[in-house]
Formats: sequence, C-alpha cells, structure tokens
Amino acid sequence: MANPLQQFVIKPLIPLNIGGYDVSFTQSSLWMGLAVISATLLMTLSMRSKSVVPNRWQNVTEMIYEFVAGMVHEALGHEGRKYFAFVFSVFMIVLMGNMLGMIPYSFTFTSHIVVTGTLALMVFLTATLVGIFRHGLHFFTLFLPAGLPIFLAPLIILIEIVSYLSRPISLSVRLFANMVAGHTMMKVFAGFSVMMAASSGLGMAGAVLPLLINTALVGLEILIAFIQAYVFAVLTCMYLKDAIELH
Amino acid sequence: MNDKSGELARKIREAQERQRQIVTGGNDGSGEPGKDEKGKALRAGTDLVAALAVGIFLGYWVDRWLDTKPWGVIFFVFVGFAAGFLNIYRSQTGQDYKVGFKPTAPDAPKDGASGEDGKTD
Repeated sequence: MANPLQQFVIKPLIPLNIGGYDVSFTQSSLWMGLAVISATLLMTLSMRSKSVVPNRWQNVTEMIYEFVAGMVHEALGHEGRKYFAFVFSVFMIVLMGNMLGMIPYSFTFTSHIVVTGTLALMVFLTATLVGIFRHGLHFFTLFLPAGLPIFLAPLIILIEIVSYLSRPISLSVRLFANMVAGHTMMKVFAGFSVMMAASSGLGMAGAVLPLLINTALVGLEILIAFIQAYVFAVLTCMYLKDAIELH
Repeated sequence: MNDKSGELARKIREAQERQRQIVTGGNDGSGEPGKDEKGKALRAGTDLVAALAVGIFLGYWVDRWLDTKPWGVIFFVFVGFAAGFLNIYRSQTGQDYKVGFKPTAPDAPKDGASGEDGKTD
C-alpha cells in the first residue's frame, strides 16, 4: 500500500525550465519558502509589543534568541557577535525545516541531502573564508599540529586535510540521515496500524499498538528535530571558532 | 545521633557523586552509557564514514590525475581511516564538540594526531 519512502519524492508544483535546467518550483521549494516566512513572522509579530512582561509568543522568540546568543557567546566569546546573524539564520532554517516537517501532509526539506549538503557547504566555506581573511596564509597552519616531528609532517598534514574536508560531509549526512530515518520509521508504524485495522478479528484490536508506538515516536521526532538543529548550529560555531582562533 | 550523622555523610557522598557526574558530562568511567554518550556514539559513526568517503574520493581523483590506479585509492583509504579515527578521538575527548571547551594544554591540542600515524602503515 504505502511505500514509506514515497513521502520523500519531489513533486514539481510549477514546472519551469530555464536554459535546459529543471528549475521547477517544487513542494520542497514551497516548504523552504514557508520556513523562511514563518520564521520571519514569528520573529517580527511576536516582538511587536516589546513588553517587559512577555506574552507567550514573545517568550518563545526571546528563548530562541537567548539560546542561540548563549551558544555563540560560549563558543566564540565577544568576537562571536559578528557571526550571530549567520548562526541564527542557519539554526532557524534547519529548525523550521525539521519542525514544519512534523506537521502531517507537510514535506521535510531537510530530508534531502542536496539541501543539507548545500547548507553544510555554505557553513564550511564561510568558516574557511573567515579563517583565510583573518589569518591569511597563516590559516593553513591549522593543518600542522604544534610540536610535530618534521618527518611526520607530510603524513599528518594529509590526514588533517582529509579530516577537515570530511566536516561538511559528516555535518550534512547526520542531519539528512536523522530526518529520513525518523520519518520512514513513523510511516512504517503508521502502515502497520492501517494494515492491521484492515484485517479482521485480533488484528483489528492490535492495530492500536503501532498507533501507541507512533504517538511516542512523534514526541521523539520533535525532540530529534530540535536536537539536530542545535547540533548543526553548535558545529557551525565550532568550525567558526577553529577558523578564528586557529588553536 | 550516630545514625543521623551516618545518613548525612551518605547524602553528602551521593550529592558529590551527582555533582561529579554533571561536571564530567555523565561519563564517570562506570561503563554505563549516558544520554550524552549515545549522541557521541551516533556522531562517531558519521565522522568515521565521512572521512573514509573523502579519502576514497581523493584517492580516485589522484588515480585519474596521475594514472596510478589502484595505488591512490589504497593509500587514501588508510589516510581516510586515520582521519576518521582522528575525528572520533577529537569528538570523544571533547576537543571539537563541546561548546567553549578549553584543552588542558592549550598549545598542544592536537596531540592525538601523533598517536594515529601507526594506523596508516
């Protein structure tokens, strides 16, 4: 009946073709747009009253702001204020992507490696460029650990470079894999429920069991949606920190 | 009286133990994985595989460029493994993941690298 991976299929809503490239406006684009709009609306509307005693919405916005501000300050110190906007944007788009994906019938755009990969590459290139602009060629001493015997240098530098290049891959794969695994699992259990309910007798009564598991899974998935956005933002901070401080 | 002071001493010990666990991030060496440990374990998987993938990709690219098939891939698989273990070592010792972590010897934070070279040969 229901293929658990069906939910990840990209469907074009407005087919577009520019210069031989398929640039259709897909449901993925739609949900990315919705993520940006809802994040912007949340930030602006909730802060409109700017009251000393915040209402619920203002409280949410202030909590998110302080959470990310604390994270950036802890990792980068006073220097980090310049990069707050960047880390905050990355955190919000990932968080909104994960959270909007939890709404039934929506689409989780963070479940596509091309999306997470682009985000991770953007973070990686930003961190690298920040490092190069701040330290010039001195930045490349990042690959040479202090106190290294010179005869080991060629091998260690190679290992360090591979380790450095693996960062965007592990960053993107982690988010993508978590989202795909979670949503597939929920769909599989939902499928169990439907199939058991369609059968007769004992199976019908048993259909409530996968439903119970799925209820718990929804809670778990919301937690994972938040944790993965947090991890993405923390690692963004760590990479920026490496580039700024150069160990 | 004696009973009470004994109980108090026990409570203090328990509180100190809790405090220590919080400070050390739940890893007190008792071997029981905490929540943090599970996250680290999941992270270790992607870190190792990502470095290996970069290694294989570089090896393939070097092979095509220098026409040294298959030696580039063979060499870079080992380099990728070493880099993967280096990634894991760093995340497990908290040099990379924890926010605001300061290594105890700030001038030699990447000491672990010299321990990895044996794996490449």
